[in-house]
Amino acid sequence: MTTPEQSEGDRSRDELLAGEYVLGVLSQADRLKVEARLARDKSFARIVARWQENLAEFNDEYDDVMPPANTYSKIEARLFPQNSFARELAAAGSWWNSLLFWRGLAFASLALLITYVSLQSGWIGGGAPSRSLVAQMAGDEGAAISLLAQYDAGSGRLQLTPVAAKTADQRSLQLWLVPDGGNPAISLGVLPQSGGGAVEIPSDLRPRLKDGVTFAVSVEPFGGSPTGQPTGPVIASGLARNL
Amino acid sequence: MATDDDIAALIGRLALRDRAALSALYAATSPKLFSVCLRILKDRGDAEDALQEVFVKIWQRADRFAGAGAGPLGWLVAIARNHSIDILRSRKPVADSIEESWDIPDSARDPETETVLKGEGKRIDRCMEELESDRAGAVRSAYVEGLSYQELAERHGVPLNTMRTWLRRSLLKLRECLDR
Repeated sequence: MTTPEQSEGDRSRDELLAGEYVLGVLSQADRLKVEARLARDKSFARIVARWQENLAEFNDEYDDVMPPANTYSKIEARLFPQNSFARELAAAGSWWNSLLFWRGLAFASLALLITYVSLQSGWIGGGAPSRSLVAQMAGDEGAAISLLAQYDAGSGRLQLTPVAAKTADQRSLQLWLVPDGGNPAISLGVLPQSGGGAVEIPSDLRPRLKDGVTFAVSVEPFGGSPTGQPTGPVIASGLARNL
Repeated sequence: MATDDDIAALIGRLALRDRAALSALYAATSPKLFSVCLRILKDRGDAEDALQEVFVKIWQRADRFAGAGAGPLGWLVAIARNHSIDILRSRKPVADSIEESWDIPDSARDPETETVLKGEGKRIDRCMEELESDRAGAVRSAYVEGLSYQELAERHGVPLNTMRTWLRRSLLKLRECLDR
């Protein structure tokens, strides 16, 4: 093992070690030893840098290859998890996402689906259709929950029914209203731990519940988001449409 | 194609936590860096995961970019190569070699001159030509594909120790040639 105090006799050995490191032929344990030395031994670091510069010409052998299209959004989601609510929202429901994308084509079938689900669940009775909003909030496959939300403008109640809920222990599910156009999200309240139940919409928010807004549910610390904005992963989201 | 100056400027903006610069840097360099990961890891899924890690590291280390040495693209490629090789080596361990006895002769150079050499990068090709072609090939594929001594030995049909000697002597010859 090379010592930090190098003698003249160690120089060619360092030269080789640096060259082997830059070539990449060393074992992982040896690579870690070299990197530890790099951090504390400036003259050794210069030798490594010189090999890096010398051999960089081989980089021409790497012809451009396009990475998968969604890689960048994954990088951003990893680097900026707190500030990417809108992006997470988009990632939460892949099928929903694609419906949004294709909504010009698919809106009719979507409306049918929502109406069907609503009728099946018996929520749509004799009330005036224009006074109700319904959104199905779906997560990724394997997501913890999928919710159906129905808002009755007459009573100001937003009824939520879990389609499939798994327990989220010591966590709360918080419901958000995302105005048309994105951030900032407005909290509509923390859901009962069952994931179902109803949320009373404050009267000042009621005018904002209209066609085109998005409902979303995020996983938050027990009791709800400490910041007033979503902090946990968005597990379900959906666009609301007039029936 | 972004110039070195463009890339260096983007890295500088990353150090200031400029997210737009990250997006621009990704657009300019991700095909090259993905190629590096793919060539070494040889699997698209692994290479994509590695590319994500690489850009996370670039974001985190941007303030340590010195602008010297192999240039800004070389700095980015080095991060991608090192990350990919680390994955490869931890997944498929190879024998350690630092502890072994070294039987390579001292090349006896003046240590003071070596740090002031500049603009030598373009000479590697000429120096590679001075190596026997199979050894030059081993050096190149070690670098480009991240092959271990063992894999190089198998590819060239020589014993492991022979390959070690090949590469070490080649490195010394290259250093001697580059210093001339």
